[in-house]
Amino acid sequence: MSAVWKKIVADLFHRRWITFLVTCTVIVSAALLTLALSTLLNLSGPYDKLFDELNSAHLWLHFKPYRVSSMDIRRIEALPGVVDSTDVQYSYFSQVTISNETRAWVDLRVIPLEPPNVHSLKVIAGRYLLPGKDEILIEKYAADTYHVAVGDMIEVTREDNTKAALPVIGIAYDPMYDTYRSNQLPSLFVSQDTFRSQFPDQDTWVWSVGLRLADPEAVDEVLDEIESMRSSEFVDTHTDWRDAKESAVFSVQLTFAFLSAFSIFAIFATILIVVSVVSSMVLSQIRQIGILKAIGFTGNQVSLLYVGQYAIISLVGAGLGFILGLILAPLPLQTITASLGTTYYPPFSFLLMGLVFLIIPGTNILAAWAAARRGAKANVIRSIATGAESPLQKPFWGTRFIEYLGAPMTIVMGFNDTFAKPIRAILTGLNLTLGVIGIVFGLTLSGTLQTYRENPALLGIVYDAFVTRQDSSDGRAQRILSQAPGVQAFYGEYRLRVKTLDGEEFLLRAVEGELSAFPFYIPEGRFFYLDTNEAIVGRGLLDWLDLEIGDSLTLTLAENDRRTETWTIVGVYPEPADAGQRMIVPLSSVLALDRHAASESYYLKVDQNVDLLKLRKYIEPDKDTDLTLTLVEEAIPSSVIFLQLAIFMLGGILVAIAVVNVFIMSLLSTQEKIRVVGILKTIGMIPFQVVVMIITSAGVLGMLAVLIGIPAGLLLTRVLLTTLSNAFGFGLVSVSVNVLVIIFLIPIIISISLLGSLIPARWASRISIVRVLRQE
Amino acid sequence: MTTLVKVTELEKVYQTGEIKFQALRGISLEIQAGDFVAIMGESGSGKSTLLHVIGGLDQPTSGSVWMAGQQLDKMNETELARFRRSEIGFVFQFFNLIENLTVRANVELPALLEDQLKKKEIRRRSEELLERLGISDQANKHPWELSGGQQQRVAIARAFINFPTLLLADEPTGNLDTSSGDEVLDILKDFNQGGQTTLMVTHAASAAKLANYVLFIRDGLIVDRMPGGNEKAIARRLIDLRQRGS
Ligand SMILES: Nc1ncnc2c1ncn2[C@@H]1O[C@H](COP(=O)(O)OP(=O)(O)O)[C@@H](O)[C@H]1O
Ligand SMILES: [Mg+2]
Repeated sequence: MSAVWKKIVADLFHRRWITFLVTCTVIVSAALLTLALSTLLNLSGPYDKLFDELNSAHLWLHFKPYRVSSMDIRRIEALPGVVDSTDVQYSYFSQVTISNETRAWVDLRVIPLEPPNVHSLKVIAGRYLLPGKDEILIEKYAADTYHVAVGDMIEVTREDNTKAALPVIGIAYDPMYDTYRSNQLPSLFVSQDTFRSQFPDQDTWVWSVGLRLADPEAVDEVLDEIESMRSSEFVDTHTDWRDAKESAVFSVQLTFAFLSAFSIFAIFATILIVVSVVSSMVLSQIRQIGILKAIGFTGNQVSLLYVGQYAIISLVGAGLGFILGLILAPLPLQTITASLGTTYYPPFSFLLMGLVFLIIPGTNILAAWAAARRGAKANVIRSIATGAESPLQKPFWGTRFIEYLGAPMTIVMGFNDTFAKPIRAILTGLNLTLGVIGIVFGLTLSGTLQTYRENPALLGIVYDAFVTRQDSSDGRAQRILSQAPGVQAFYGEYRLRVKTLDGEEFLLRAVEGELSAFPFYIPEGRFFYLDTNEAIVGRGLLDWLDLEIGDSLTLTLAENDRRTETWTIVGVYPEPADAGQRMIVPLSSVLALDRHAASESYYLKVDQNVDLLKLRKYIEPDKDTDLTLTLVEEAIPSSVIFLQLAIFMLGGILVAIAVVNVFIMSLLSTQEKIRVVGILKTIGMIPFQVVVMIITSAGVLGMLAVLIGIPAGLLLTRVLLTTLSNAFGFGLVSVSVNVLVIIFLIPIIISISLLGSLIPARWASRISIVRVLRQE
Repeated sequence: MTTLVKVTELEKVYQTGEIKFQALRGISLEIQAGDFVAIMGESGSGKSTLLHVIGGLDQPTSGSVWMAGQQLDKMNETELARFRRSEIGFVFQFFNLIENLTVRANVELPALLEDQLKKKEIRRRSEELLERLGISDQANKHPWELSGGQQQRVAIARAFINFPTLLLADEPTGNLDTSSGDEVLDILKDFNQGGQTTLMVTHAASAAKLANYVLFIRDGLIVDRMPGGNEKAIARRLIDLRQRGS
């Protein structure tokens, strides 16, 4: 036993460089795994922490006007499943003007002056409301959407259409604001006094109440009970804390998905390295193994020798990697903590530690064990006599081919070396290929994003600006737009909530106007003809309702199912909202459902060098106008940019690991070949030729890696983007790639792998012949 | 007769850590073109070291080696390699063939390292050598499929492929049975009679007798010299030297 231990320590120190490099890769993969698992285990950690701190309500009820009494609220609060409530909170849907330009509909809500016991808000900028002052605290999402900062003025429209300007004194996060579902209006918070002074008529106030439940998962049961309290419907809408949480956590899920991909890649790469290093070590030491066995080591002891080495390396590596992962663990959750205005450190978890220490050393030891068994089984006499196993009888056909082409002997020999040890070559090649795939993936994603940025029509955004109306008639709005300076074309849209005969609800966009002037992107099927009952739909709707192009779909209004109308689906368009679960039809075709259908918003195509100020002045001549112009800006979500960065990082790490692997492989095979190199030098191979011979092997691997990696990377990108966009109901994506950049990758990867073998090659070219020849 | 090799005051010191060991202590010798010289001496006396330095495999600590008008101890690694390739043929005790190349590839290798040579010419030459050494039927086999004597003949063929000026053989029969060893010696003698200058290290008087003259080395110095031909005389001189040394 102690003999084995002594040999283990000696081997580890004898090959310190390899020990060091393998440990480094193990550290990287352990750190990535820790990061991914910690993110997974704590996805909702920041949200839950904040939710607890603020004692937030699990269920918010928004009542229909005039339908609810204080008595109802008392009864709701007395339900057994309800433990606490916010009391009635009043709100008013009001149109506001932000910083004198943007107009928006908001939910103006009353909050208590003292932060309440249930459902307080988290102030992340500025301060909370003060008594005796007319001021506004704005919800974070609203502030982000409308670019509101502390100190801005917001003009509130009163019931009587007069206006009052109030200063924004703070920005607060409301954990129940659901960022994903757009049916919730952005919230502004004011004091009761301010609210009363702006909206004195209590009858117009909307009532809502937030409830804390005994069982947070029992939202549906409590809601059922509440709705069955009265025969008539009195709850207008409700917000479930789980939905809000899901939205808040969504962005982190993407992060998690990519971190997992990272660590799986990294684990894979580590296994590749361990397998290739161990099997090369076994091969290069096979003579030594024979001697060990001759002096009495059993096969198990020989296996133990290698398993022991890798157990030590991987335990040390997993430990260091775990610590590194813990240090970095708050980073992936940063996107979410930042949006919640809080900080969060994932707690130490034994589960996490257990998983990391099971997976990393486990795979490593298994790989070492499998390779070592081969060594342990080697025949004593044979291994002492001939050293390494007998090489391939027939040279690889590729070798003969390049020999036929007249390549110099050194290159032929290097080429032959690559294939003399096919398993190791495959492992190293795979490792390099993974790196190439990662980089191609990143490049392709970046190219695709660029295409989408340049052509937002691909994202379903075919317009430059849109206008909404309130009191003005559709006719007046269209008249103004048709004369507005710089407007090339526009189409109008009326939105209505519809449902299928099975009761599935979604949003229908009924459009009219100069549709042909807009570059609608129809990846499948065609656009509809006007004045027909044809429809184009988001991919998500097709998947959701299990429909295809050519099917027809019968719909009613969501609120009133007396009349039905049927449409034929003729095409698919990219719908960025509602997971693609929307549909566009000609406006004329919805009149049968809704007699009053008339465009309420208008999408504009404007001249390239339009005078925006002039246009705005024309559409919004004064503060009282009810037409609002909004320009389309950023269309690519920031999480996609993050993702792209993450992939580049992954590609980089993989290439780095691959270089280490090439280095180790070259070093080991050079060590194995040291005799051959000595002989070759004896018979007159010059140092330069030795270098060429050894780096040729690596170059061949690099070449194979780009040959396989580039198409595989492109394919992977296509498949992954298609899967993702299908998951989001977005429909077909068009993957674009910068061919020049990809071509440029070929020499880079080949040079990188050449670089990895340069040090071993130079070392080989300098070995002393005499010393090698004496080692007999 | 022309002097092919001129070695003067050759010293070689090996240093392993702190410990220095002087393997050659001032050796001077001359070899004439066409000579067949044998070197004898006890194990560890410096025979291989001398051969390595003369063959440009190792550099001397001091002294100089001239061969064919070139001074080896002034050359860099690359120049030495080119020199070995074109001027020297080596034959070792442990054949030192390359296992994953065929016999023919092993033989042709030194010529193929020279980019200028024509493949056809190299092939013609290797076939001629294999024929002459009686192993042309083994050309497509790998070294491990051959007997020791056959492997050594492959090594000899490899040594001759570039028409070396000097053949260096370090105990070429040391790892062979008597009859294979004799065959190898016959081959060397045969080439020497064709004009090949040869320097051979050997333990065996039966091998040394083939040489024109024999040099005796002890502790890094040439201590004696006698003509070849008489095996018994050589053996007796060897025993003499051993007794004088102890
Ligand atoms: N690389 C080396 N380092 C240290 N000592 C060496 C080295 N090579 C040879 N020697 C020593 O030099 C002496 C001469 O060696 P060598 O020339 O091989 O002797 P021979 O061939 O006559 O048996 C021996 O004592 C040997 O131990
Ligand atoms: Mg010797």
